Amino acid sequence: MRYEIRVEGHMSETLARLFPELDHVVMSGQTVLFGPIVDDAHLYGLLARCQSLGLRVVEMRQLPE
Amino acid sequence: MAESDDIPPGPGSPHADPLGDPFLRTRFALPARPATFLRRARLVHHLDQALRTPLTMVNGAAGAGKTLLVADWAAGLRHPVVWLSLDPSLGGPGMFWAHLLQALRTHGVPVADGVGTPADAGRVPHTLLTGLAAQLGTDGDELTVVLDEYDRIGTPEVAEQLEFVLHHAGPGLHVVLVTRTEPLLPLHRYRASGAITEIRNAELAFTPEETVALLRRHGLRLSVQAAAALVERTGGWAAGLRLCALAAQEHLDPEAYLKEFEAGHSAVADFLLAEVLKRQPSATQDLLLRVSVLERFCPDLANELTGRGDAEAILAGLHRENAFVEDLGHGWYRLHPLFREILRAHLRERSAELEPRLHLRAAHWLGRSGHLPEMLTHGAAAGEWDLTAGALVDDLAIGQLFTGLRTGHLVDLFSGMDPAAASPAADLVRVARDLSRGDLDHALARLGPVRERLAAAGPGGTAAGRLGCALLEALAARVTGSPQRAEDAVRTARELQHELPADLLDKHPELSALLLTHLGSARLWAGDLDEARAALTTVAATTGAATALPRADALELLALIDHLDGRPATAERKASAALAETDRYGLAEGAGTGLGRVVLAAVAVERDDLTEARDLLDGTPGPAVHDPVTAAGRSLATARLLLARGRARAALEAAEPVVPAAVRSPWQRVHTAQVASSAHLAEGRPDLATKVLEQLGGEHPVLAVAAARARLAAGDPDAALGLLDPAGTVVGAGPAVLVRATLLRAQAAHTAGDTATARRLVAQAVAEARHERLRRPFREAGPWIGPYLADAPAMGPGRGALPFPVEPLSGRERDVLLRLAQMMSTEDIAADLYVSVNTVKTHLKSVYRKLAVNRRNDAVRRARELDLL
Repeated sequence: MRYEIRVEGHMSETLARLFPELDHVVMSGQTVLFGPIVDDAHLYGLLARCQSLGLRVVEMRQLPE
Repeated sequence: MAESDDIPPGPGSPHADPLGDPFLRTRFALPARPATFLRRARLVHHLDQALRTPLTMVNGAAGAGKTLLVADWAAGLRHPVVWLSLDPSLGGPGMFWAHLLQALRTHGVPVADGVGTPADAGRVPHTLLTGLAAQLGTDGDELTVVLDEYDRIGTPEVAEQLEFVLHHAGPGLHVVLVTRTEPLLPLHRYRASGAITEIRNAELAFTPEETVALLRRHGLRLSVQAAAALVERTGGWAAGLRLCALAAQEHLDPEAYLKEFEAGHSAVADFLLAEVLKRQPSATQDLLLRVSVLERFCPDLANELTGRGDAEAILAGLHRENAFVEDLGHGWYRLHPLFREILRAHLRERSAELEPRLHLRAAHWLGRSGHLPEMLTHGAAAGEWDLTAGALVDDLAIGQLFTGLRTGHLVDLFSGMDPAAASPAADLVRVARDLSRGDLDHALARLGPVRERLAAAGPGGTAAGRLGCALLEALAARVTGSPQRAEDAVRTARELQHELPADLLDKHPELSALLLTHLGSARLWAGDLDEARAALTTVAATTGAATALPRADALELLALIDHLDGRPATAERKASAALAETDRYGLAEGAGTGLGRVVLAAVAVERDDLTEARDLLDGTPGPAVHDPVTAAGRSLATARLLLARGRARAALEAAEPVVPAAVRSPWQRVHTAQVASSAHLAEGRPDLATKVLEQLGGEHPVLAVAAARARLAAGDPDAALGLLDPAGTVVGAGPAVLVRATLLRAQAAHTAGDTATARRLVAQAVAEARHERLRRPFREAGPWIGPYLADAPAMGPGRGALPFPVEPLSGRERDVLLRLAQMMSTEDIAADLYVSVNTVKTHLKSVYRKLAVNRRNDAVRRARELDLL
């Protein structure tokens, strides 16, 4: 399955490197992280990673295959 | 700020550091507030409500200022405050409660020793929870327990256990959870009853006025309007505002700088941290990036990572400015968790290859300073497996891969071991892992070569390695049923122990206990029961959490010896003692061999309690240690149960040995032959019954009795009496054997028409059996015994069941029964009596057995009939 996670603010390249498994694109005050998610554990792990980096998640959705 | 920041000195108290973890004190320390900390009265007032509710939750994003708020508030309290900072290594219930106990004791809250100690990282004895609940917050004592970073342990069991303690503790106990995520507690119930104080993210957010005050502490003057814009941009987020202040401080025109920041779209912490970092002197930047690999650090450790000597001054300065670094007291610091994550990202960006080298340096420093658990973590993170395994082995901690609070953590840690690690220590760890998984083939294939490599290395420096190897040899000997190999391993271990420092050996009592238990099991297998008893009794006499698992293991083996001797009551006592140890230290069921339950099942068969026996055998988890003793004990108990239920053919199959072992076990063969002989008799084949016994040959009370029985069934009472008569063959045997011998002599007299002798002998057998509550031998005897039993003294008329009078209930069983009559649930009874649920179940079972019922309603009814209530 593929997901996209939108977080508030423009993320630096340094920080984006902490999500090596995802691509990212910066747009209109947000950063969109997207890519394949292995399972639920991976998904919750990503959310926890956002939280521990002080990123505010504004949207998260599954992408059509 | 109050003086209560200082925790009382830990060392010196009898409970100092039971886990051998020198990092404990930094977990128990109230974090110091930096000079720029802003106390916010509205939050302090709200937190004061915490003293009126059992539970308080301070819940907010990383960097929302939760920890410092609670630390500041708690420092001003007049009653004792217990502080515990959590991290994932404390996620297992055993680790969590062991640390909470230690935190209570460190902060001077008395906890009775009777409460117990967890001995398994993943489990906690229920008695510990009930005991704690009974002591905390009672008799007007007020106590606040702060669990900081509660979100870092995601274990649902801990939440349930915490809920239990909160529910049953006195009204003076207040638990404050500081967490990023909502805990798995039934919060709605607390809310509905007004039993919770909640401070959430929105309330933690800074108002514009507070922002003005905060920035003033950093030497910045800002209008309320400008502050409002900043609050808008950062959401009033404490960490964001702090970084704003630090970044703007360095600017010529801070207000203009902040305006520019407000207009931007960067992720707040990401951008600001980079800004603040790049303004630090390069030595400071370097230090911050390097220590980001550490959970906690002191200046000396930081110097080790930078290769310079300036850490003390830099860290003090950073803490003073409230930049990144938190002071844990006693010269230890940590990075704010949020900043640590981002700093690690910067470290990786600047030099990715540096990270493993930093872990390695940290591992060396930690190893030198005696911090083994942290050393292992960093050694593993550095990918230096030879070093890491070597440290474990040199510390004689290899036994902890089998037993103790750290087992799970160590097994996880080494599960990632690189196959390229080739040192003997790495191989020892692999053998230990294989053995604990029951992968005998791999373990044995590795063990020989590693032993030779260690021996080739010659004396000096390898004593610890060879001792670790001897332990694994002893275990391998046990599971392969090789007594000689076990004796050799233990002798080698004894010699090596003289070469090692006594204080190191004293640190690891589990090592000797494991060695002797394995030796005892191997001796038992070989039929050397007295020598086995000697080794096992030594282990059974140990105390403390470190040896809890081998102790329970040894008690179970001792129970089997008593059972084999035909002494069910003693066997039952020892098996129950083993289960009590399991219960008391919260060991996992199935952490050992499960032999205790097998022995209890065998005893239940002797007492003709077949349902109980089946439940015990069905409920025995697959053994974690696969040894032939347990396998044989289990086959025999299963076969005897099947025999008792009239399934002779199935019993024959079940008794067949499926146990690969180096030597044959005399008792296993004797008892298997006895079962086979009984099965043949049950199917009307006395010839075959005699033949299986003759094939085996040899002298043994069990064999003599079985042979006599077969002869009697074949119509040859003289031969039978000849086997039994110079009672020499059965002298010294236990009651279970003697009662059977007496009954066979009674049967022979009955067959010969000598009813007076038969009556006398049956009465004698009844008297011998009563003490042990043996029933099975009378069932086995056959229909001829009926009239004699009806005549026997103290045996009233019965319908099939042997009518022994009701055995008196113990005081505890009566307590349980009384509560049962009040319709209390098992859990409620456990809480009411301050014992574990398992203990209540054990009492219930014996109440059922004594009253000869199977259900609680029947138990209450029967107890009323008998006037027991």
